[in-house]
Amino acid sequence: MENKPGLSVLVVDDERTIRSFLKATLKSKGYSVSEAKDGATANELTASLNPDLVILDLGLPDMDGLDVLKNIRKASNVPVIILSVRDDESDKIAALDMGADDYLTKPFDAGELLARIRSVLRRIQPGTADTVYKTGKLTMDTARHQVTIGKEPVKLTPMEYDFLKMLVISGGRVVTHKRILKDIWNRDEETDDAMHLLRVTVSNIRNKIEPDPNRPVYITTEPGIGYRLSEEE
Amino acid sequence: MLRQQGIKALPYIISAVMVGTVTVLCLLLNGHIDPANFAVIYILAVVLSAVWWGMWPSIFTSILGVLAFDFFFVHPLLTFAVSDLSYIYIFAGYLVVGIVVSLVASRAREQARQAQGREQRTLVLYRLSRELAASDSIEEVAAAIKKNTGELLECSTAIYTGRSNELFLTAADADFPVDEHERAVATWVLVNGSAAGALTRTLAASKGLYVPLKTVQGTIGVLGLYKWDNGVYDMEMIEALSSQSSVALQRAILAEEARLADRAKENNRLQAVLLNSISHDLRTPLVSITGALSTLKQDFDSMDPEVRSEMLETAHEESLHLNRLVGNLLDITRVESGTLKINIKPCDLRDVIGSSLRVLKDRMENRKAVVDISEGIFEVPMDFVLMMRVFMNLIDNAVKYSATESVIKISAAISGENVLIKVVDNGFGIPAKDLERIFDKFYRAEKPRQVAGSGLGLSICRGIVEAHHGRIWAQNNPAGGASICMELPAYIKEEKHGK
Repeated sequence: MENKPGLSVLVVDDERTIRSFLKATLKSKGYSVSEAKDGATANELTASLNPDLVILDLGLPDMDGLDVLKNIRKASNVPVIILSVRDDESDKIAALDMGADDYLTKPFDAGELLARIRSVLRRIQPGTADTVYKTGKLTMDTARHQVTIGKEPVKLTPMEYDFLKMLVISGGRVVTHKRILKDIWNRDEETDDAMHLLRVTVSNIRNKIEPDPNRPVYITTEPGIGYRLSEEE
Repeated sequence: MLRQQGIKALPYIISAVMVGTVTVLCLLLNGHIDPANFAVIYILAVVLSAVWWGMWPSIFTSILGVLAFDFFFVHPLLTFAVSDLSYIYIFAGYLVVGIVVSLVASRAREQARQAQGREQRTLVLYRLSRELAASDSIEEVAAAIKKNTGELLECSTAIYTGRSNELFLTAADADFPVDEHERAVATWVLVNGSAAGALTRTLAASKGLYVPLKTVQGTIGVLGLYKWDNGVYDMEMIEALSSQSSVALQRAILAEEARLADRAKENNRLQAVLLNSISHDLRTPLVSITGALSTLKQDFDSMDPEVRSEMLETAHEESLHLNRLVGNLLDITRVESGTLKINIKPCDLRDVIGSSLRVLKDRMENRKAVVDISEGIFEVPMDFVLMMRVFMNLIDNAVKYSATESVIKISAAISGENVLIKVVDNGFGIPAKDLERIFDKFYRAEKPRQVAGSGLGLSICRGIVEAHHGRIWAQNNPAGGASICMELPAYIKEEKHGK
């Protein structure tokens, strides 16, 4: 899908080379880019520039990126993608719980970053009142309550349907265990039996929709964090 | 000689009895033979006394004999007066014979005694040398010296070893005095290389006698001797013991030094291998990346678009390789330093394997992955992220060591209380002698062609699998290729209370 030209992105990273590479990549895709090399500047620019998207590094020289995120979330609902070398699940979960829209570990693939950007921007783009979502051969029609692979209809249980719908609506963004358990089973805690239920549900959907359930392409796992609907085909 | 020689009365009493007996005998013979001949019988007593007890008893016997002879057989009888001067010569003759015989006899006796002493000493030293030869470490040698010296000299013993004027108490009897003062004396001996302490002229006020253990390189230790009754010592024996002990101690010290040097060398070698491996492995992908990018930078416009994208592909692939390598280095550091955080929860095994394969999608090229998980296996307790590292390493290895277009099979089956997981390739296999060692850090099996790798992957896998209370091993398949097998507990064991 094409971007509306001129969407503005604020890149927060203390490494000049990473900022310049991000700037080049993003500009070539039609985004306008501003840069901040530390947390204070990031706070300032988010307030003054009101960007459409923030790409935020966690390891900043003057403060923790999570504090910048907290600051941003106080005043704004702007999509934030975390870009960090920290690859511990707990860091990712903390950032996502604090309101980050997605998380990407450095080093990352530019294509993947652009896909994530498109996903999170979809969240704030109004007018996508479509009720039909497609990725690869998978189609979900929420108005008709229908899921098909190619032309073949897929029979899902209500839980499976709700789960898939959650991923589909998130449009490629990661959905955390916590959110899934809360939204679908109304559980506040990641208890063992709730997690078991979730794993069984995911495994069953994969058996129904994946071409090879051993190597899923639609529903992919974010280890220790959650699931996302993969956009690749 | 420090041996005590108290004056003993017994030889004199027996001498007197002998003289008395001779006198009685002569009185019985009196009248049958000339009394002048009795002198010869008396001299028998003098000779016997000289041979048995030495000079002084023999002189005593001579005088007693002369007096008895004079009293009973020389006129005037029953007085000590002498009328005939010739008897004076007989007295003198007695004395001379007594002294000469006693000197000769005492020398013979001394030689016999020395011979006997030598034999005993040889025996003891032989035993000591045998025990010393059987001892390997400095501690064992010191203990052998302590035991033998103590038994032989009948004293309590301490062995100090010394390095650069510093003293180490290596072995000591429980009752050996090791206070500060005694230690100071021992230190003095170590520094000055001559004996000191009790019974010597130096620092004689101390309780122990301290003898240096010397070699050509200098004083290597101090032998401490202590007798609570302040008795004397057989200095010759101490001499012999200390020289033998010195040789043995020196040998043990040299052996210890050699061992330390070996260990240091091995450490250095490992470090060198590590550095070599890391720098080589990090540089190899960097060379390709730098090469490809610099070429692109220079000739971008003149380049064939196909070559251009090929170069970009190379640079990209190699940068991913570099990233995996850095990840492995981080992992091995965590495994080795024990900072590996492990979070074991039930995991969908199929999901773990599938996620690993997904990450390695591009790496597989034309190889085909076949996943075969037995029915009934769904959730297996494991750390999702760490086990992904294991699968990624194993699959990466299988890719490295097998041809393109080949099949990599990943299977899981229940085996008793465990899940048996196998990653099977149909590549070159592993030389039998390497099957165990490939899990060692930086060890890489000999292979028919050059394959890039750091030798870290499998040791990371072992670290992670063992943290799961599982085990991992390698085997060759009958039909060719290798299998890496893992056994992981199929159920979460009940945690015992109190971590």
